[in-house]
Amino acid sequence: MHSKFKILNSYAALFLGLYSLILSLSPALRARSWDVDYRYAHWLGFFTWLFLNWLAEKHLDTKLPDRDPYLFPLASLFSGWGLLTIWRLLPNFGLRQSLWLALSVAVMLLALRWRDILPTLRRYKYILLSSGLLLTALTLVFGANPLNIEPRLWLNFGGIYLQPSELLKLLLVIYLSAYLADRVPLRDKIFPLIFPTLFLGGIALLLLIVQRDLGTASILVMLFASILYIATGRKRVLLGNAIILLTIAFFGYYFSPTIQTRLAIWFSPWDDPSGFGYQIIQSLMAIANGGLWGRGAGIGSPLFVPVAHSDFIFTAIAEETGLTGTLGLLTLFGIFLSRGMVIALRAPNRFQRILASGLTAYLGIQSLLIIGGNLRLLPLTGVTLPFISYGGSSLLTSYLALLLLLKISDESEGVTPPPFLWSTQPYHFLSAMLLLGLITSALINGWWAVVRGPDLLTRSDNPRRAQADFYVPRGSILDRNNAEINITTGESGNYIREYLYPELSSVVGYTNSVYGQAGIEASLDDYLRGLDGNPATLVWWHHLLYGQPPNGLDLRLSLDIDLQENVDDLLSKHKGALVLINAESGEILVMASHPTFNATKFDASLLSDEDSPLLNRATQGSYPLHQTLDTLFDAPPIEIRLPHAEAAEGFASPLQMAMVAAALSNEGIAPAPRLALAVNTSQSGWVILPALGESATLFSAAEAKQLITTFSGDEEAFWQIISMQEDEENLTWLLAGTPSNWSGTPLALAILLEENNPVLAEEIARALLSSAP
Amino acid sequence: MSAPFLLILRLGMTLSLYIFMGWAFLLLWRNFKTESELLTSRKTPPLTLSYTDLEKKRKIKHFRTPEITLGRDPHSEIYLENETVSAHHARLSYHHGQWWLEDLSSKNGTMLNGERVETPTIVLGNDEIQCGKIPLTVHLAMADLSPNTQEI
Repeated sequence: MHSKFKILNSYAALFLGLYSLILSLSPALRARSWDVDYRYAHWLGFFTWLFLNWLAEKHLDTKLPDRDPYLFPLASLFSGWGLLTIWRLLPNFGLRQSLWLALSVAVMLLALRWRDILPTLRRYKYILLSSGLLLTALTLVFGANPLNIEPRLWLNFGGIYLQPSELLKLLLVIYLSAYLADRVPLRDKIFPLIFPTLFLGGIALLLLIVQRDLGTASILVMLFASILYIATGRKRVLLGNAIILLTIAFFGYYFSPTIQTRLAIWFSPWDDPSGFGYQIIQSLMAIANGGLWGRGAGIGSPLFVPVAHSDFIFTAIAEETGLTGTLGLLTLFGIFLSRGMVIALRAPNRFQRILASGLTAYLGIQSLLIIGGNLRLLPLTGVTLPFISYGGSSLLTSYLALLLLLKISDESEGVTPPPFLWSTQPYHFLSAMLLLGLITSALINGWWAVVRGPDLLTRSDNPRRAQADFYVPRGSILDRNNAEINITTGESGNYIREYLYPELSSVVGYTNSVYGQAGIEASLDDYLRGLDGNPATLVWWHHLLYGQPPNGLDLRLSLDIDLQENVDDLLSKHKGALVLINAESGEILVMASHPTFNATKFDASLLSDEDSPLLNRATQGSYPLHQTLDTLFDAPPIEIRLPHAEAAEGFASPLQMAMVAAALSNEGIAPAPRLALAVNTSQSGWVILPALGESATLFSAAEAKQLITTFSGDEEAFWQIISMQEDEENLTWLLAGTPSNWSGTPLALAILLEENNPVLAEEIARALLSSAP
Repeated sequence: MSAPFLLILRLGMTLSLYIFMGWAFLLLWRNFKTESELLTSRKTPPLTLSYTDLEKKRKIKHFRTPEITLGRDPHSEIYLENETVSAHHARLSYHHGQWWLEDLSSKNGTMLNGERVETPTIVLGNDEIQCGKIPLTVHLAMADLSPNTQEI
């Protein structure tokens, strides 16, 4: 019989061995080259696990030959998986966890030699519980935290931190099982249950209010309810505990700010994605990044989630092994818990039966609480995932629980039949609840990983996007003659964005790992990033292989750098904006906004600069119109892939006025403006990006012609309108354009100066339109 | 390129996890089958209980089930409406090739042939059981019944 179960261990070893191998090779995939430093350290963890697994199996075979054969291989796989994940995340912690695993297995094997461990535990239940409580109480006074932050739930033994509340949960299960096993014949009396109930409620409240340990408090109460229900088989117990839980929750809500914030985060994390909601949203993004197949060991970025090695280890596993991995993990947890319940039913006496169900409930409830917390199925409680999370106390406690379950399963193979079962209901109820929890977790996991995944990954606060920018070349932004404006240089791992024409920073924009994106860099990010314009299969394939998009595509703008340079020279010491547009095609040849900034030297002081250099005045500026212009103005529709000002009565942006000018030069029709012309795809070369909006008729052809004639000067070949405002704000508007009988490229422009300076405006207009082709 | 090679390793890793899982399920299934086959092969020898009920009527009941409960609870297989009998008084069960009598912590105790039953005790043919003040007689007459006799 047992040789078949040995095969289980071999598959576990194969799984963990492949995990280690992938982790070793992962730097090659990140750098996309074989010439890298490979990771080796975690093999120490793998071989420690392999040895401990072999040693434990050997001892269990001799000491507990009739044990449940599924439990140990499952627990061993969990702890090995957790160990390697911790090595992957933080090698220092991996080393420590390997030592803790060795210690836990050693304690388990030593305890195996103690034949009467179960009766002894039963006899000394009060001493056990009191010492557990005492140790927990000590944290109120001597509490410490390895990270030196709140909450202080640990005791420091010369650099080794222990969390007594982990042990307290186990001791509580033992105590309650012993206490209730002795008193269950009195099952129709409620009195013996009052004392432990009040006592436990008190501890839970104390932990909650003094220590702010929401996780332990809720686990204690839920464990208490489960064990009491199992032992008495009465629904009243569940009802009573629901009332206690609600009372605690009520008091907790009013007296503990922890609960208030936890609940607020749970309900609406999206309200504060960079503050309170940061951790859970990062967790969901990590799960989304894992998707169906996972990024592979060492290839994802689970470290973006705070405390990924402990509270959020499920998230780290979900990112690197994907939904397939976590479904496997949840299923194996399901098998583990169902074996626990089977052991409980077969247990030789009442104490062991309650104990086995209590231990199963303990492992199941704690796992579901933290997995649910990671998935935003439940409010987050900072507890560990048994066997898997980093933490010596947690691992040791999990192994002690495992030992007791193995011991009970071994003893149930005796001669006496299992004791009479009062009612099957509590067992069915508890098993159904645990199973339901696992199934719900699996479904929610699938929701975040597959259904909502793609949307989550495109969020701008997904740090993986900025990270991918270092590894995947971003497309260049070119002007209409293919002169480079923004380009990416460097090599994989160190790609940086260079801005060759800094004056365009407020128009073309920037992409920055700290400050995000703006302008065309933001609005056409999907092309520049290679998510759009590449074949869907290529994008999918690259995401599967690297978790990153393929190389970005180059983008051609309608801007003419030579003309732009002219304008920027003329405007350089002034505040204002200018838009020069092809009046027939709508292509924007020049778009200038001054003062501007240099995206290469981006820093936070720009955000508070009174001159608003980040603002693209040409599209976002909303300036008052004076009489002449106001009568002409009939807000044209603007869609040009840049943020623009809302249309308002009596106000307009320079771009909007440029459209009016274009309509005057183009027989009354304002063409749809275009800034992005084409994108260079790998398959079909340069592909035209159509204008977003549609052309609009602002004037009749006759009307336009008449207006142009009115404004045409004698000296110039073009028409122009100048409007000044000298009241509160000094503004100069200038609209100009080629006449309707123009033989060359029809041009139109709008100039806005935040000063009273018609001379400069005219000078610029002349410079642009006289030299027009 | 490293990526396709690693992709194969990654799929292999997932596969090994699912083989682990599949193997565990296979073992569970086999275990389940063996256990259920063991149960069908284990035929419970029929047991007959005779006792006198409240209306002083002599009652005889035949059982082929491996578990018989006795008590004042109306759901008991042997329903004994007597104040000296507890709700869940005693249990007869067949396992390890024998019928066993077990007292379920009853108030007035269970006697087997005049001796108090403290631990599960083997019951033989013509044994006298006493639940509280109600006496019952056990008959284990396999030869009387054909194997096809239905449970009553």
